[in-house]
Amino acid sequence: MKFKLIYPKWEKLEGQTTFNLPPHGPVVMAAALPAYVDIEFVDENVDELTFDDDADFIGISMMLTGQIKRGWQIATEYRRLGKKVIFGGISTMLHAEETMEYADSIFLGEVEGRLEKVFEDFKNNKLQKVYNYLAVHPDINSIGPARRSILNNDKYYHKGVRMVDLFHASRGCKYNCYPCAVAYLGGKCFRPRPIDRVVEELATIDNNRLFIVDNSLAQDKQWEMDLFREMIPFKKNWCSHPIEDDDEVLDLAAQAGAWFVYQAVFDTSDYIKNRIKRYHDHGIAVEGTILLGTDDHTEDDIKRLIDFLLEINLDLAEFTVLTPFPHTKAYDDLLRQNRIIDKDWNHFNAGKVVIQPKHMTPERLQELYHYAWDTFYKDETQSEKMFKLFRSVIMKEIANGTYKPIREEMANNSFGKRVKR
Amino acid sequence: MIKHFNKELNSDYFNEVYDFSGQWDVPSRCGLKIVNQGTKAVVIATELYAENPGTSVTNFCAPLATAICNGHNIGHENMIFIVHTPDTKSKLTFMNENFFRVDFSWDGNKFTDPKWSQIEKAKVDELIGINKKLI
Repeated sequence: MKFKLIYPKWEKLEGQTTFNLPPHGPVVMAAALPAYVDIEFVDENVDELTFDDDADFIGISMMLTGQIKRGWQIATEYRRLGKKVIFGGISTMLHAEETMEYADSIFLGEVEGRLEKVFEDFKNNKLQKVYNYLAVHPDINSIGPARRSILNNDKYYHKGVRMVDLFHASRGCKYNCYPCAVAYLGGKCFRPRPIDRVVEELATIDNNRLFIVDNSLAQDKQWEMDLFREMIPFKKNWCSHPIEDDDEVLDLAAQAGAWFVYQAVFDTSDYIKNRIKRYHDHGIAVEGTILLGTDDHTEDDIKRLIDFLLEINLDLAEFTVLTPFPHTKAYDDLLRQNRIIDKDWNHFNAGKVVIQPKHMTPERLQELYHYAWDTFYKDETQSEKMFKLFRSVIMKEIANGTYKPIREEMANNSFGKRVKR
Repeated sequence: MIKHFNKELNSDYFNEVYDFSGQWDVPSRCGLKIVNQGTKAVVIATELYAENPGTSVTNFCAPLATAICNGHNIGHENMIFIVHTPDTKSKLTFMNENFFRVDFSWDGNKFTDPKWSQIEKAKVDELIGINKKLI
């Protein structure tokens, strides 16, 4: 049986450096497919999608809210051609009811041990409208290595340089952060994978540069330390979301190859200043993630926050505007207050203001968002700062003998497209 | 059994933890207080955040209100439904306590089309009175 799995494209944020990373959801899904299924994977961000194929069954995997309308378009075209279409992935879970209107079937929840039933039903022409596994998570021990062989790795090079591969060591999140839907998607209980299963997966990845996509590694100190100890021999360099603020853990993380972390910077406190300093003290760079437009932000607060970011020597900063994704407290609050002013899901990209802010007009928040990017990167562009980060990792790789030279034949390519070197 | 229930949440506005089957049948829970006021029943459903494994009250307002009405023999026309977001002791103002009255349409079997309007705590206190008999 031929199964075509499609990852829809989305519009990239204006003015920002475009990076297309190999998607994670589809490779996790592919690992759980029955053996008799032949899979073809198309990442529409780097591949051209054509509809003249002989696939028996179409899958659409969606991670971002900004992908869903394109996913619906693709499904509509395939269904017009008489193909059955199933949707899955985290934004399918966030937008399940709407997506059902465009689908023969939707899959909600985690896939391990569940796809045999779906494909048997398809073969027997008994595909169900909904496969609902939201309430019951699979045994965390059952999660094996993702199936990265479905990816066309050459498409994820930028000017001959290989970007990161995505990888996960846990699911769920015990935190319940205001703008985040992960607790809804993966459950409010932290579910670390057994270290031996993580190690088994690490051994299958030929890329020395990883992005550990777990929501936060700082949820179980002992597990986190065990994980880092076991990662040391692999000599990978990796970025991740926050690491426990503890010298022993940070030291182990650095030994395990912690390259940079995404750290939320939500105020101008000494706590934040010291948090960043401690990462730097351990040789770990920091990309600040800065959410603008919460109900605590006046214009002056936002300007002060940007000045603060420059003072604390962040290595990179990523600015977003408060965006109420479904199944978050932010969504609930703004819905009750009738402050969601734009319901076009393509605009839910965290760069376009879709809410009425409390202390300013939406237009003013939009201006401040651009002001934040422009001010932070005034003296050194985002590309230049990223280049510095890459240079630091290359130096580490040269030092530990894992460096792989850039691919000269791909120096004029960026994510599958021709570019000037 | 709630093993990790946050005792600091304001218990003036709920008397019990109410378990319900949320969106996509996910086990969910909220705080609940029901106060009889003459012919009216004031229902306060409290968001429990981390203590709620499933769907929020806000996301499931209409089916939740329907289930509570049916389960407690409250006539749909006699219910005043309030969503309570408790103070979470955060320094972030958007984590403070708030109350919203919810008005619904009734389609003959269930509530639909929730519409929220924020109300003052004093108004909630007035609605539930003092020493009212709990259902």
